[in-house]
Amino acid sequence: MLLAVLITNSEGNILVERFNGVPGEERLHWRSFLVKLGADNLKGVKNEELCVASHKSVYIVYTVLGHVNIYLVGKDEYDELALSEAIFVVTSAIKDVCGKPPTERLFLDKYGRICLCLDEIVWKGLLENTDKDRIKRLVRLKPPTEF
Amino acid sequence: MAQYVKKDDDRDEEAEYSPFSGIEKGAVLQEARVFNDPQLDSRRCSQVITKLLYLLNQGDTFTKTEATEVFFSVTKLFQARDVGLRRMVYLIIKELSPSADEVIIVTSSLMKDMNSKTDVYRANAIRVLCRITDGTLLTQIERYLKQAIVDKNPVVASAALVSGIHLLQTNPEIVKRWSNEVQEAVQSRAALVQFHALALLQQIRQNDRLAVSKLVTSLTKGTVRSPLAQCLLIRYTSQVIRESSMNSQTGDRPFYDYLESCLRHKSEMVIFEAARAITELSDVTSRELTPAITVLQLFLSSSKPVLRFAAVRTLNKVAMTHPMAVTTCNIDMESLISDQNRSIATLAITTLLKTGNESGVDRLMKQITNFMSDIADEFKIVVVDAIRSLCLKFPLKFRTLMGFLSNILREEGGFEYKKAIVDSIVTIIREIPDAKESGLLHLCEFIEDCEFTYLSTQILHFLGIEGPKTSDPSKYIRYIYNRVILENATVRASAVSTLAKFGAMVDSLKPRIFVLLRRCLYDNDDEVRDRATLYLNTIGGDGSVVETDKDVKEFLFGSLDLPLANLETSLKNYEPSEEPFDISSVPREVKSQPFAEKKAAAKKPTGLGAPPAGPTSAVDTYDKLLSSIPEFSTFGLLFKSSAPVELTEAETEYAVNVVKHIFDKHVVFQYNCTNTIPEQLLEDVTIVVDASEAEEFEEIATKPLKSLPYDTPGQTFVAFEKPEGVPAVGKFTNVLRFIVKEVDPSTGEAEEDGVEDEYQLEEFEVVAADYMLKVGVSNFRNAWESLGPDFERVDEYGLGPRESLKEAVSTVINLLGMQPCEGTEVVAANSRSHTCLLSGVYIGNVKVLVRLSFGVDSAKEVAMKLAVRSEDEAVSDAIHELVAN
Repeated sequence: MLLAVLITNSEGNILVERFNGVPGEERLHWRSFLVKLGADNLKGVKNEELCVASHKSVYIVYTVLGHVNIYLVGKDEYDELALSEAIFVVTSAIKDVCGKPPTERLFLDKYGRICLCLDEIVWKGLLENTDKDRIKRLVRLKPPTEF
Repeated sequence: MAQYVKKDDDRDEEAEYSPFSGIEKGAVLQEARVFNDPQLDSRRCSQVITKLLYLLNQGDTFTKTEATEVFFSVTKLFQARDVGLRRMVYLIIKELSPSADEVIIVTSSLMKDMNSKTDVYRANAIRVLCRITDGTLLTQIERYLKQAIVDKNPVVASAALVSGIHLLQTNPEIVKRWSNEVQEAVQSRAALVQFHALALLQQIRQNDRLAVSKLVTSLTKGTVRSPLAQCLLIRYTSQVIRESSMNSQTGDRPFYDYLESCLRHKSEMVIFEAARAITELSDVTSRELTPAITVLQLFLSSSKPVLRFAAVRTLNKVAMTHPMAVTTCNIDMESLISDQNRSIATLAITTLLKTGNESGVDRLMKQITNFMSDIADEFKIVVVDAIRSLCLKFPLKFRTLMGFLSNILREEGGFEYKKAIVDSIVTIIREIPDAKESGLLHLCEFIEDCEFTYLSTQILHFLGIEGPKTSDPSKYIRYIYNRVILENATVRASAVSTLAKFGAMVDSLKPRIFVLLRRCLYDNDDEVRDRATLYLNTIGGDGSVVETDKDVKEFLFGSLDLPLANLETSLKNYEPSEEPFDISSVPREVKSQPFAEKKAAAKKPTGLGAPPAGPTSAVDTYDKLLSSIPEFSTFGLLFKSSAPVELTEAETEYAVNVVKHIFDKHVVFQYNCTNTIPEQLLEDVTIVVDASEAEEFEEIATKPLKSLPYDTPGQTFVAFEKPEGVPAVGKFTNVLRFIVKEVDPSTGEAEEDGVEDEYQLEEFEVVAADYMLKVGVSNFRNAWESLGPDFERVDEYGLGPRESLKEAVSTVINLLGMQPCEGTEVVAANSRSHTCLLSGVYIGNVKVLVRLSFGVDSAKEVAMKLAVRSEDEAVSDAIHELVAN
């Protein structure tokens, strides 16, 4: 299960927070844990360079894209490798929507479209689409080209 | 107007204002009224939905009324023609997750979209419908979903398949009907469709071994189109391997070649999955392991942190079972100690601690010392645990390792970390006698400046047990009495008890201890004064050098010999009344823990305090249930309840299992029944038991179950009398008898007339292990010595050729039904001999300890030496008879 997708600005303020199968009372804990993890480790990290951590039986893969930090949390079959695959899809979709690694402002300007992309990529904790061109078309309700 | 706040960093001018700055839920909900406009402004509507999404994604929640209002407004947007807006509408409906009575509003619109000519409308409508639907609606749309699964458009097929995976949790019986379509989708040329279909198919068929095996056989030979699907296939393959036995003629493992070939796949994800699958094979040989280790070793020096992490994490796991196989990676692993990523560095260190040899310990500890200062507590705990295991592995190195532990104990750290260190020192003291004196002194120094009351009291308790047995007990008194002067009431009370223990155990110290205890009589805390008074009055001798009475020692300091969790529950259940609390009414059985917890517990030998307490036991629940039934209320104290024994196969019409409740003179069988047919109601459910192969048992009562509706478990009971205190055994044959009534699925009403019917169940046995309680001891060696050799019985047995040593050990444990102690139920892979320690209480409350020594030869012939000690000669003999039969 892909437990969480969290996107923050570089100060750690939440931009997008989507949890799956995480009880309400644990969410705050996860949020602060991830933000701290980013604050400790993401300084000086290059765009899309992946960092990895594990906490209890859960894996976390996170990265920087422009001025936003992206965190994915998973467990069981969504281990560090599956998460890297998923985070790659997320970063490419965001770059695609924004046209470049986004500033916070650009990210918020494209907020609606980014939400649609995330909806295509992760559905209630399962990875659904992985191809950025297809995602780009799907959020505009256009059929995929490849079939 | 919204106030924009300027941030004081020097970024791009336009980047400094958020479009959502000053956003307020109330205002957005007001804005959402535009959805009701007769002339819809699609652009504006999309913006408002975006704002709603922003609020939801920030963790904001809507009240029921707010959500309902927004939802109803949103449904109006189905009239708009704008595709961008439509896509947003799909998303916001899912986010609002309307309740069942509201869903009906959008159902028709979504059904229309589901039959649309535009494929992507269909895909989205499927996803929304499945997210908000309940069982009844699902049957209506099932036909469309089945078509969608095999749709040629991959987006539609994937949407239906992923929906299926989610729906399987809530409506399994419906989704299971789709397996033919899903099977077809597995052959799809679209990579993602195949991936989703494979995931769903395996979940549908996970209980059908043969089907999973066939699936794996065909796919490992065929084409798998995406690395994701390949990973799934590898996982299912290892499941099949686990369930099938090795080919005994050639010694080959089925599918090993497939796994090995995946090690050369171009996707790293697949390589890792295969490597992990190989390392996790049961009884994996070094020949099988080598290619996987080689691949993992290469990844240790990868430039990508994720790959290094994955490699070191896998090797760390391998090191737990096959440390020798990982030693080839030690050089690469050492360079990872300085890895920037602390998770990787910690895993590398703990792996090295497991694989290193005795001569390398000092060098390794030097490296770790530098590393410890800059990692977080949670990593430090892992390292401390690893150091404890290392110390137990190389007892001669205890000076270096104990020195390290005492150094880090002095440094800053949180409670969990300090507790881990203290637990480790305690374990080392218990296991390595030479380490005792220095270890106790380290603990004494720690409590001189310890901010955690819990740790201080635990250490004081431990000092009270071990301190008096050292060569010079007097040197600890100063540290203990300092607590009485300097600490809070809880710690002071513990210190008083510890002082008293020294007084009771070391006669020469008694006069001086009495002086100290008398001072405690003036403490300002009640508990401290009470304890001091109790000890001064019971230990005796008025402070002169005399021996304290053995009974007094037992009364004051003896162990309760009860699982503390059980005692706690019993005390909580006790209602104040005339009748005092009876400690003998506390159940003594340690309930077996769920598998995952058991594993965790096995990894961590407990340090301080009592044996690991199980979670609150089911015994109390059973006890309450049985005593509430008048027929059984006179049977006395429940001795033991067995784990449920299944009497039907999985997925049959009626599911029945039995729990055996053992009393001194009686046995009660509790049959848990579930009716899995929605169209049936069962009434007057009883079990007809044939006890002709259980001569000593006589049926005395049955309690039928009045009604058993679909999917609502119920119980029926049968009670037998048996000779008092005798571990009678026998076989019982069972038939389920009932009156069946047809139920109309649409109304849920049952017909008036029913038909009598019977259903044959499997038989079960009452065995000797049912008369044995699993009761653990915290220190087996001490318990063994204290039972003494008077009623010891030793004999040797040949167990014949067995599948493996592990299998032989677990068979004997199950046969005896006793509690394995100190993690000795775990047999190291490939080992030729094993010692297993068991403890339990036999019917009649007789304590029993068993020491089993196993050996296996090259022909897999297993020999076993069984040594039993108990409080009763007859019981020691009975245990031998059990094995001999």
